[in-house]
This record gives sequence, C-alpha cells and structure tokens, in this order.
Amino acid sequence: MSRPRSFRQSMAWLHTWSGLVVGWVLFAIFVTGTASYYRTEISHWMRPELSETAADPVAAATRAGTFLQKTMPDAAAWSIRLPSAESPAVTVYWWRSFAGPFHHALLDPATGERASVRDTHGGNFLYRFHYELNLPPIWGRWIVSACAMNLLIALISGIVTHRRIFADFFTFRRARSAQRGWLDAHNVMGVLALPFHLMIVYTGLVTLSSMLMPWAVKTAYHGDILRYYADAGILVAGRPPVGRPGQALPLGEIVSRAVAVMGETPELMVVSHPGDAAATATVYFEEPPGLAHLHPQIAYDAATGAELGRVGEAGAATRTGAVMVGLHEAHFAAAPLRLLFFLCGLMGAAAVATGLVLWTVARVPKKGAPEGLGLRFVRILNLGTIAGLPAGLAAYFLANRLLPAGLDARADREVGAFFAVWMLAALASALYPRPLAWPIALAVPGFAFLAIPGVDALTVGEFRFIGFDIAMALLGLLLLLAARLAGRRVLARNPAQSRLHGTAEA
Amino acid sequence: MTLPALVLSLLLAFAGFAALALSLDRHHRAVFRTPVPRGRIGSLRAAGWSGLGLSFAAAIASAGWSFGPVQWIGSLTGAALAVVALIAYRPRSLRAAALAALPLAALTLPLALMR
Amino acid sequence: MSAGQVSADRGSAHASATRAYRLSVAARVLLAAGGGYAIAALASALLPLILPVTRAEAVSAAMITSFAIMAAAVIWVFAARTVGRAALVLGLVAALLTVALWLAGAVQAGASA
Repeated sequence: MSRPRSFRQSMAWLHTWSGLVVGWVLFAIFVTGTASYYRTEISHWMRPELSETAADPVAAATRAGTFLQKTMPDAAAWSIRLPSAESPAVTVYWWRSFAGPFHHALLDPATGERASVRDTHGGNFLYRFHYELNLPPIWGRWIVSACAMNLLIALISGIVTHRRIFADFFTFRRARSAQRGWLDAHNVMGVLALPFHLMIVYTGLVTLSSMLMPWAVKTAYHGDILRYYADAGILVAGRPPVGRPGQALPLGEIVSRAVAVMGETPELMVVSHPGDAAATATVYFEEPPGLAHLHPQIAYDAATGAELGRVGEAGAATRTGAVMVGLHEAHFAAAPLRLLFFLCGLMGAAAVATGLVLWTVARVPKKGAPEGLGLRFVRILNLGTIAGLPAGLAAYFLANRLLPAGLDARADREVGAFFAVWMLAALASALYPRPLAWPIALAVPGFAFLAIPGVDALTVGEFRFIGFDIAMALLGLLLLLAARLAGRRVLARNPAQSRLHGTAEA
Repeated sequence: MTLPALVLSLLLAFAGFAALALSLDRHHRAVFRTPVPRGRIGSLRAAGWSGLGLSFAAAIASAGWSFGPVQWIGSLTGAALAVVALIAYRPRSLRAAALAALPLAALTLPLALMR
Repeated sequence: MSAGQVSADRGSAHASATRAYRLSVAARVLLAAGGGYAIAALASALLPLILPVTRAEAVSAAMITSFAIMAAAVIWVFAARTVGRAALVLGLVAALLTVALWLAGAVQAGASA
C-alpha cells in the first residue's frame, strides 16, 4: 500500500486481508446460519417428547395466560407463541424490563403447565449463535455486523479482483497444482452463489439496522423507534400503562375474536403491561404469501376485548426493507427452495473455508525454508475452525440424546458439549502429523455425524425423525468425502514430493 | 413454488449452462478432447442462453413475479454447480446429462404449471 | 523514515519502508472503519430530513441504503492513491454532510417552531 498501485491490485490486497481477518468467525456464522434454515426441525428432533398433534389455540392461550399470571403478574410483557401444526407446544416468554432477563418456558397446551420435555435450547442456540456468537447480545451483534461489513467489502473487492469471472465460470482444475485447485474451488463457490452471498450479507446488515444505524430514527423521530415502526407499518402502535390495576379477559377470548376477524389463527400474542387497566394484547398473524417480512397485527384492549388498532400499510421503502429481512430469513421458502438456500449457505461456508486454506497454500515456503509464525498460526486456526466446528455441532446433537433427561442445567450442558468438543477437536488437530492433519481432522466430525442416526435409533428410535437422521448421515458422508479428498492429495503428492517443493499441504 | 416447478427451472438451467460450458474450448476439450468447432460456438451459446431464458420463464410462470426470480437465481446456482462438478469429475457424461435434462424438463412441465 | 535513515544502509531502509507500509495500512483500516461509518451515519441522519417522501418511508430508505454508502466509502479508502488523499476526500464529504444536516435540521426546527 506504500507505493501507488493499480485499482485492481489494491482490491486484491483488500480482498485477501479483509477476508482473512474475519474468516474464522464468518465460517462459524455461515455454518450456524445455514443450519438455522432448519431451526424448527432441529428443535423438534431435540425435543422428541413433544407430540405432534395440533392443540386448540383458544384453550391453549387461556391456559398460558393462567400460567403467566401465576408466574409473573407484574411483568412488562408476556409473549405467547400459540400451538400450530409445525410447532404443537406453547412457547412463552416473560420479562420485567426490556433490558432482560427474558424468562422462557415450554408449556403443554393441554395442561398449561411446563411440558415434561428434556431441557434444551434446540435449534435456537444455533440461530442465536449465528448473530450473537453466544456473547452478551450487544457485543455479539456488533462483532457479527463488523464481520458482515468485512465480508461485503471482501465480496466487492473480490469481484473487482477476479479478472475472468465469465471465462472461468465453470473452471475447476482439480488435477493441477494445489494452489490452482484451491483458487478454482474458491472462485466456483464464490462466483456460482454470488447473488446469494451479496444478498445474505446485505440483508443480514439490514436485519440489524435499527441497532447499527439508529441515526435516521434519531433525527426524524428523536429516537422514538416504536413510533417509527408504527408509522412505517411494521408494528401496531402500543399504549402506555395507566398505573391502575385491571382485570384482563381470558386470553383465549382475544384469540377467538382475532380468528373471527381474520379467518386464521394468529401465531403469536404479546400482552403488554398485564395487570394494568390499560393492558394491551396484540396478536400477530403469519406473513401473507410473499417475500416481505411484515406480519399483520391487531391490538386489543386486554380488559374489554375491544379492537384498538391494526398495523398500517407499509410504503415502498419499508416494504423493500421487509423483503430484505424476509429474504435473509427465508421463512417464505417451501421445502424445495429452502433446500437451495441451504445449499447456497453451505457454498458460502465453503467459499470462506477455501479462501482461508488458499491463503496458507499460497504462502507455503520453498523447500527447506522454515514455516513462519503467521503461517503456522493461520493453518492451525483453519484446522480448528473448519474441522473443529462440525465436531462441536455433532457433539451438540449427540449430547442431546446421551445426557440424562433429568440432569441439572441440561440445556447449558449441551451447549457446553458443543464448545468443549470444538475446542478439543481444534487442539487435537494442531497436534496431528502435518500431512495427515486435514484427513484426520475432517474424518473425526464425519464419523461423529454418522453416529447420530445410530444413537438416535438406540435412545429415541421414532420413525418421524428419519429425515433428520438421513440428513445427519449425509453430512457425515460429505465430511468423510472431504477427508478422503484431502488424503488423496497427500498420497498423490508424496511420491513426487521432491519435485513439488515439499509438503504443499495446507 | 412446488417441487416440479423448481425441478423444471433447475433442469432447463442445467441444460443451458452445459451448452454454455461446451461453447468454451477448455471445457469442450475436457468433454470431447477437441476444441469447439468454430461453427458450433454460436449455436451452443444461443442454446445456452435460451436454456437460461426458458428456466426464467418457467420460474415466473409457476411461481409468479415475487418468488419466481428468487427461485430462478437459486436454480442457476444449483445447476451451475452440477455442471462444474460433472466437468471436473465425469466430463464424458456432460453431453448425455444435458440432453437427458430436456425430455425430463418436458415431463415436469405439466406438473409444474398445474398450480 | 527520514532521508538520513534511508541512506544509512539498505537494511534500515527496508525496515523503515516496512514500518511505513504498516502505518499506512493501519491508517487506512482506521479511516475505513471510523470514517466509513461516520459518513454512512451522517448520510442516514440527513436523508430522512431531505427525501420528499413520508417521514417513515424516508427513515426506512435511509436505513437500508446506509450500508451501501459505508461500503462505497471503505472501497474508496483502500483504492485511493495515498492515505492523505483518502482522508481528505472523506473529510470533505463528512463536512458537507454535516453542513447539510445542520441546514436541514435548522430549517426543520424553524418550520416546526
């Protein structure tokens, strides 16, 4: 950067370094985000005790209200996710302040008491890790956003750097040198899914924009974001408490009214200031068919059941933003399209991983020269992240089946298993003999994923989980295939090692 | 946005990308061991772009203007990945696979347009 | 980094060039992160005050475009020939945005008073 250089050279430099410094975190964000496309399915699998029979939402809402009244009558708000065909249990949250803590419970819709189900964070852990990294939310979100901005820069500079996007569109020269093969793989993963990569990183930033860029709300609304949401047609306007106690209707009564008006069952109900005379019960319906993430909402007076208001019509810019959020979350995508999003997410993770490996392969010292500290550091972090994270994921699922159901703080121990195995796998992979490091490190999670269907069959053994189990087996086979490819490179190169300047392994 | 609709977009995009890949010397060599005959480049490119265009039309016709483009772009990624994998690992079968994709697409067409 | 140092011997010249290079990279990284964010923040604060659409729509538009503005500023910082040039242009843009923001804010305060 010290001498004047061409635009393309600057961008090549920028692509390499902006990608490298956040690559490991990005890989974890991509993997857990991709898994989150199947968050509901993961949560189902991890709570095998829950039945799949749909419950009556009206009775379930009333029972949930009774439970919450008993648990925290003076809460700032209660939130009740009503039972549906996909998710038959009732999830309730309650909190005294928006700063947290947010308490939550899973209720049996038939009794309104805590469901007797193993304690687990389910798919929610992976979902929240995707944008909070299991750190305090504010820290996690800012770090993830900084990584996302870096990725946006890496994508733009990568497009500028890549001279022959169209000529090399289909090119993957696996038989040539290691560096050529990794470069081609990086290009293929990056270019073929480029629309997805650009979409997912930009829409991810937009999803967190109220935290990242509060300045427009500051100048136009003096920081009153709820008023902006109400004006824009994102949320229905709320109302402040009056400070007098009040008696709310049974919550099921509100659900019945909402069903009568809209002809469909709401998916979520939020009661603000329960116990207050001005308590408000807001029901949220599923997004209408379309890409936009905009939920129809009706606010009711919780005491009288009178309708207080509905969410307004969103304008073009707000709708565009909502489409971006919708595209990021892909709630609209039915099974086949969701599978394509999943594939694109894997390609994103693969683009990051091949980029990281390429950095080391391109810097392998000439035969006999010592390996620098930086190179060794990057190589070990690569192994620990790219092969270690999948091992942690497999451990998370295995722990769900193997930890005793009544264990104390069981949900947190599953998360503990995730991190402990990830760290162990990372440490171990730093000690494997150099040429075999990648094959062994990738085979470990491969076998662990392959073990999941077997462990599931022995511990739970229900036919309805066959889809999840097959998916786990396929992931295991994919990792073993990767291990074999990495191993074949070693075998292929060893006889000709003198010709090919030493161990060109990553 | 049914399964047949997505499969149709995928098959058409696959055939289109295969034709586009074969219009490039490097990939034509990998598949047929010869560079592209000069007279073929134009027709291969035309066939390729029409495959992508038909894939777009199929996505819009079956999924409408909001989901259609999303579905189409997803299909492009999936189809291109399949073409790259075939060229890298089974180059000889690219032509047969691309030709087989067309009758399969014709078979899925009625299913895809039935909403 | 002085001329005397450079002429002393090749080794120290090389060392100081490396140091200059590292300083330049660090400066660009800081400028890109801080300056890029500042420009995006200023632009997104200004847009709702000047866009001829409803207040809520203008806020939405400002929020969804702000990241593109930041990305453009970052690319500029790394593409500019020297750090000084990058800082100068970024500073000018930021100053212009601040003045516009002050004017728009003053106009709005006057209108609402």
